[in-house]
Amino acid sequence: MPIGIYAAASGMAAQQVKLDAIANDLANTGTAGYKGVRVGFADLVYTERGGVQIGSGATAVDAGRSMRQGTMTPSGDPLSVAIDGRGYFQVRQADGTAALTRDGSFRLDAKGELVTATGARMVPPVTLPAGTAQEDVAIGPDGTITVKGAAAGKLALVEVPAPEGLRALGDNLFAVTTASGAAKPAAAAGEIRQGMLEGSNVDVATSMVELMAAQRSFELASRAIRTQDQLMEIANGIRS
Amino acid sequence: MLAELARQDQIANDLANGSTPGYKADRSAQGSFGEMLLVNRATGAEVGPLGMGAAVTTARADMSQAALRETGEPLDLALEGPGFLTVQTPSGARYTRDGQLMLDGQGRLATDSGLPVLDDKGGTIRLGTTADVTVSADGRITVGGRAVARLGLVTLTDPVKQGDSLFAGTAGARPDGTAIRSGFLEGSGVDAARAMVDMMTSLRAFEAQQRVVRAIDETLQKGISAGSVSG
Repeated sequence: MPIGIYAAASGMAAQQVKLDAIANDLANTGTAGYKGVRVGFADLVYTERGGVQIGSGATAVDAGRSMRQGTMTPSGDPLSVAIDGRGYFQVRQADGTAALTRDGSFRLDAKGELVTATGARMVPPVTLPAGTAQEDVAIGPDGTITVKGAAAGKLALVEVPAPEGLRALGDNLFAVTTASGAAKPAAAAGEIRQGMLEGSNVDVATSMVELMAAQRSFELASRAIRTQDQLMEIANGIRS
Repeated sequence: MLAELARQDQIANDLANGSTPGYKADRSAQGSFGEMLLVNRATGAEVGPLGMGAAVTTARADMSQAALRETGEPLDLALEGPGFLTVQTPSGARYTRDGQLMLDGQGRLATDSGLPVLDDKGGTIRLGTTADVTVSADGRITVGGRAVARLGLVTLTDPVKQGDSLFAGTAGARPDGTAIRSGFLEGSGVDAARAMVDMMTSLRAFEAQQRVVRAIDETLQKGISAGSVSG
C-alpha cells in the first residue's frame, strides 16, 4: 500500500486548517481589537525505504496570532478607547474568571461601573460617580479617568511574555495559558487613546491571496491522491 | 515499478508540503541494478546479460533558495542565501530554514513547534516581549533598541530531513553573505508545475512497466499451454 496517499491526505488536512483560519480572519475584519491567526506548516516524519527517505506528509502548526497593531478609527464615543502598544485590559467575566482584551468599546452599566461591550468588569473595577454623563469623562494616555477634572479611577494595562500563547475565548477575550506566561501590570505597555477603537489587524487583500494559495495547495494534494489511486488501479490490472 | 512507487510517494509528500515554509523538495535519480551474466553451466557458453530492473539510487533534498514572501510579521524570518537556523530539540541540535518564529511561555524565541532557537553561542534567546523586536540582516536581535543576541546560522553538510521542518547534519561555519529578512518567510521549494509533470510522467512509466509484466506473464502462459499440448 503506498504511503503517498496518506501523505497527500495529510497535506489536504493541513490546508483545511489554514482555510478555516483565513475564513475566521475574514469574518472578523470588522471586529475591534481582533488579531489575525498565524498558521504555520511543518513536514512530518520521514521513513527510510530501500535507502530512500520518504516523507509522510504535512501538518498545520499553530503559530499564535499576529500582534500587529490594528488601525485606529475614531468612534466619537468618549467611553471607547484603543491601546496604542502591546498591552491588554484585564477584565473579569460573569463567571469570575479573568481574561484579557484589546477591545476598548466600554460602556457604563446600570450601577455606573465601566464594563466591556459584553458586560465583563474591569480588573480592578472602575466605577464612575452616579449620574456621570459620558461627555464629561476624560481618559488620559496613561489610563487615568477624570470626570469634570476630578479623578475617578484608572484603566490599568497588563502584558504577557508571549502573546502568541494566549487562548482566544471568543467575545474578543483571551485567556492566559502556560504558553503565554502570566499577565503582569505594565504601565509602559501602551498609551490609551480616548474616542478611538483599534480595528481588526486582518489585511483583507493579503488574506484573500492566502485563501487562493491555500485552495490551490489543497487541490494539488488532492491530485496526488487521485494519482496514487491510479497507481493502485494499474497494479491491480497486472492480472486481469 | 517499485522505483516509480517510491518516486510517487516522494511527489505526494512534496505536494502535501506545498505551503510549508523552508521546505525543500525531494529529487531522486533511478539507476539499474547490476546486470547478471547468464552462462550455460553444461557448455560454458554465455547466454547473455540479464537486467535486474531499476531502483532509486540517490534521493536528496533540492536545497536551492525558494522565493521569499512578505508577511509583515516581525518574528517571521527568511534566510536569503545558504545556511540554517539552529534549534534546540530533546535529541540535540537540529537545523531549519522555517523562520516562522514565536515566543514560548518563558519568553524565549522558539519555532512555531515550540522548540527554542539558539544564538551564535549556542544559548537560548530570551526576548520577553514581541514588541519592538528587530532583526537585522546579519542576525542581530534588538528589543526596544537594546541588543539581545545574534541568531546562530550554520552551514550544513549532508542535510537529512527529520520532519517538523528540521534537518540533521554536520554543522559548519556561519555562511558568508546570507541575509536574514525580518517580515518575510521563505516559501516551499516545491514547484507545483514540475511536481505535477513528474507525477504524470512517473504514472505513465509505472503503467508501461505494468504492461511489460503482463506481456511476460502472457508469454509464460503461452509457453505453459504449448507444453501441455505436446505432452
